[in-house]
Amino acid sequence: MPRRIPSAPLLGLLLAFSCAVSAAPQQQADIEALATSEQWLTLVHYHPNRFQSGYTSQADDPSFFFSESGKTDPEGELRATIEAISSPASGDPNRHARCAFPARDAWIREQLALPEPEVTCTEFEEWKAELNTQAITLVFAASYLNSPSSMFGHTFLRLDPPEEDGETNLLLANTISYAADAAEHDSEILFAYRGIFGGYPGVTSVQPYYEMIRVYSDIENRDLWEYELNLTPAEVEQMLAHTWEIQDRNFDYYFFDENCAYRLLALIDVARPGTNLLDEVSTHAIPSDTVRWVVDRDLVSEVHYRPSAATSVSHGLSTLDSDQRRLAAALANGYISVDGKEINALDDEDRARVLDATYDYVRHQAQAEDWPREIAAPLSHELLVARSGLKGPPADEGPLPPDVRDDQGHDTLAVAATGGYDGTRHYTGLTLRAAYHDLLDPPAGYRPGAQLQFMRLDTRLYTDNQEFQIENLVGVEIRSLTPRDAFFRPLSWQVGFGGRRTELPTGNRVLTPYLEGGAGGTWRLTRKLSALAILTGDLEISKHLPRGYDVAPGADLSLLRQGDRFSLLTGLRSKTWIISDQHRQDELYLEGAVHLGRAYSIRASASRTHHYERYETLWNLGFRAYF
Amino acid sequence: MKKLIAGAILLGASSLAFAQPGCGVGAMVWKGQSGIAPHVLAATTNGIFGNQTLGMTTGTLGCQTNQSVQSMAMYMDSNIDKVARDMSRGSGENLDTLSVLLGVDEADRSEFNRLLQDNFASIFPTSDTTSNQAVDAIVALLEQHERLSKYVA
Repeated sequence: MPRRIPSAPLLGLLLAFSCAVSAAPQQQADIEALATSEQWLTLVHYHPNRFQSGYTSQADDPSFFFSESGKTDPEGELRATIEAISSPASGDPNRHARCAFPARDAWIREQLALPEPEVTCTEFEEWKAELNTQAITLVFAASYLNSPSSMFGHTFLRLDPPEEDGETNLLLANTISYAADAAEHDSEILFAYRGIFGGYPGVTSVQPYYEMIRVYSDIENRDLWEYELNLTPAEVEQMLAHTWEIQDRNFDYYFFDENCAYRLLALIDVARPGTNLLDEVSTHAIPSDTVRWVVDRDLVSEVHYRPSAATSVSHGLSTLDSDQRRLAAALANGYISVDGKEINALDDEDRARVLDATYDYVRHQAQAEDWPREIAAPLSHELLVARSGLKGPPADEGPLPPDVRDDQGHDTLAVAATGGYDGTRHYTGLTLRAAYHDLLDPPAGYRPGAQLQFMRLDTRLYTDNQEFQIENLVGVEIRSLTPRDAFFRPLSWQVGFGGRRTELPTGNRVLTPYLEGGAGGTWRLTRKLSALAILTGDLEISKHLPRGYDVAPGADLSLLRQGDRFSLLTGLRSKTWIISDQHRQDELYLEGAVHLGRAYSIRASASRTHHYERYETLWNLGFRAYF
Repeated sequence: MKKLIAGAILLGASSLAFAQPGCGVGAMVWKGQSGIAPHVLAATTNGIFGNQTLGMTTGTLGCQTNQSVQSMAMYMDSNIDKVARDMSRGSGENLDTLSVLLGVDEADRSEFNRLLQDNFASIFPTSDTTSNQAVDAIVALLEQHERLSKYVA
C-alpha cells in the first residue's frame, strides 16, 4: 500500500502553484498559539527538549513532516500543514495532505476556517471500512509463570467491530501494535545495544486478534486482560485517523521508554485531548504501569479476562478430583488408552471432563515442552474423537478471572526506610527500587513465585561514625519458582548481577561486582507455602581478593509463604568459595513482611552467618511504600 | 464480516513488523536465549493437526470460489487445533467464529455445532488431516444438510 506523500521538490512545486493561503491577522495570532497547544504537540509527537528550549518530534521519518525543519519547529510545521491541506488537489487525491494526514486535517479545521479543497480519500476510507471499528480495547498481555522477564507485560489495541445482532466476533477483530522492526539475524549484543540506544525502527502493524491470541495466549501462555475504552465515536475516528498517519512511518524504538506501550499512549492522547498519558512517562514505560494510568484516568468502561492456554490447562485439571487426575496423567502418558475400562467406567460428565482436561494438557505439553508429534498428535486425535461422542456434557466455562487484576497489584517503584544492627554497629538504611516486584512484596496481582527486581539501591548510614555506605546495587535480579507436580515439572531458576558488600578475611567490607545464578525445584506444600531447593553459583570480582575474583558453588534450601496479609522466606544458604580464599560461608535467614494493603509493607529480617570462623547476627526492620 | 478477515490478512501482510514477544527489558534480556527461559522465543507453533507449516495457504484453496468458505479456510489454517477442540465439545468461541465466517444464522448455530460434533471423526479422520481436507469435509457435510446447505451454496 504505497502511501507516501509527495517528495519535497514535488511538494514545493505543488505549493508554488497553489493559491497562496492568506491567513487573516487574527488567524496569524491563532497559529502561534495553536502551534504550542497540547493537541498540536501531541499530533506531531513533539516533546520539549530536555536541555534547551524548543521542541523535537519523536518521529524519525522525513515523510511525517511538511516543513523541512518540521522535526524541531512546531509552528513552521503547522503553517506548512495548513498550506498543504488548503491547496487544491492535483494528481492522485490519495497523495493529498488531507488524505495523508486526516487527523491533523480534522483538528486544524476545528480551530481555523480554511479553504476546503475537494478530495476523496479512497485509500483511507477503504482502510477504515476494512477495520470497521466502533470501539477500542486496550489489551494487556500479563506476565507468565516461569518467565519473570515477561513481567513488564505487553500492550496493544484491539479495534472492535460494531455489534450486529450479537454477531460481534472479537477473534476476527483487528489489533494495532507497535514493535521494533529488528532483523532476525541481529546478534544478541546488537539487539540489546540498539534497543537501549536506538537504531531499531519502530513500526505500527495491524493484525487480527486471533493471531495475537495465538502468540500471547497459546504460545507464550500469557493471560490477556481486555480494557474496553470509553471513547466516543468521534474520538475513535480521530484515533484511527492518527493511526493512519503514523502507520508505516518510522519512530525509533527504545525498550525502556519509547516502547510498545508508549506509542499506544500517544494514540489515546490524540483521541482524547487533555488525557496527557505521556506526561506520566519519565524514564521508562512499563506496560503494566501504563494500564494503571489508563484506568486511573477513567478511560475504561469494561474489563474482560482471557485466560492463557496454561491457565486453562491448570483450571481444567483442577476441576478433576484426585482419582480423575491420576486417570488424566495415565492417559496423557499412555499408560491407559482412551477407550480403556478405567475411562469407560466414568459417567458421561466425568468422562468429558477427563478427556477435555487431558486434551488441553497434551496440547499444551506438545506446545510448551515439545512433546514429540508422533506421540502427541495421535493421542490428541483419539481424545477428540472420543469426546465428540459425548453430546450431553457442555464444555467447561473456563477459569474465573483472578480477584485482583495485574493493574491492581502494588505499584512497582518501592522506597523503604530501615533500621538495623549488624552485631557491632547500628545503622539506618534507605532502599530505592525502580521496578518491579520481589517475593515478599504484596503478592496480589502478581504471579506467585516470580520475582523481577530492576535497579535496586540499598544504602546504610552507620550511626556511630556517621559513615555512609552503599550496601547493594542490584542491576537485575530474577527468580522464577514454579511448583512441580504430576503434570508440570518446571525448573526453578534465578539469576542476578550488580554490586554488593562482601566481607574480606580482615573483616573489612568492600563493594564488589557480582554475578549469581541458580537452578532447582519448587514444591507446593499448602496453597500459600512452598519449599525450594536450589543449587547456586556465585562469582565476585574485586582487586581486594587475592586472585582478583572468587567463585562459590552452593545450595539454598528454603520455605516461602506468600499471602495477602503476610509473607515469609526462611532457609539455609551455604556456599564454598574455592578460588581466592578457600572457605565456607553458611547463612541461616528469616525474612518476613506484613502487608498493609497494597501500598505499604513492614519488613523484618534476621540472619546468622558463619564466615571466616566468625559468627555474625544481623537484625533489620523497615517500612516500605510503593509508588 | 467475511471481508473483514480478508482485510485483516491483507493489512497484516502489508506491515513487515517483526513483533517482539513482549517488550521492555525482559524481551531484550532473553531474546535468542533458549533453555532457561524458552517460552519467550517459542515463536513457532507445534500443533496437532496438519503438516505444521505456518502461514496462509490461500493459494491452495483455488478450487473454493465461495468467499465465506475461503474465509473459513483461512481461519482454520491458523487455528485448526482450537477449532477441532471446540468441534469435539460441540461449543466454543472458535466454533462460533466458523459460524460467523460462514454467515450461519443464530437460529441455525446449534444445529451447525451438533452436525460438526456428530461428524467429527469424518472431518478429522486422522491426526494428519490438513485444514484444507477438514474444510472440504465440512463443506461436503453442509451441502448434504437440508437446512444448512444454503450457507455453502
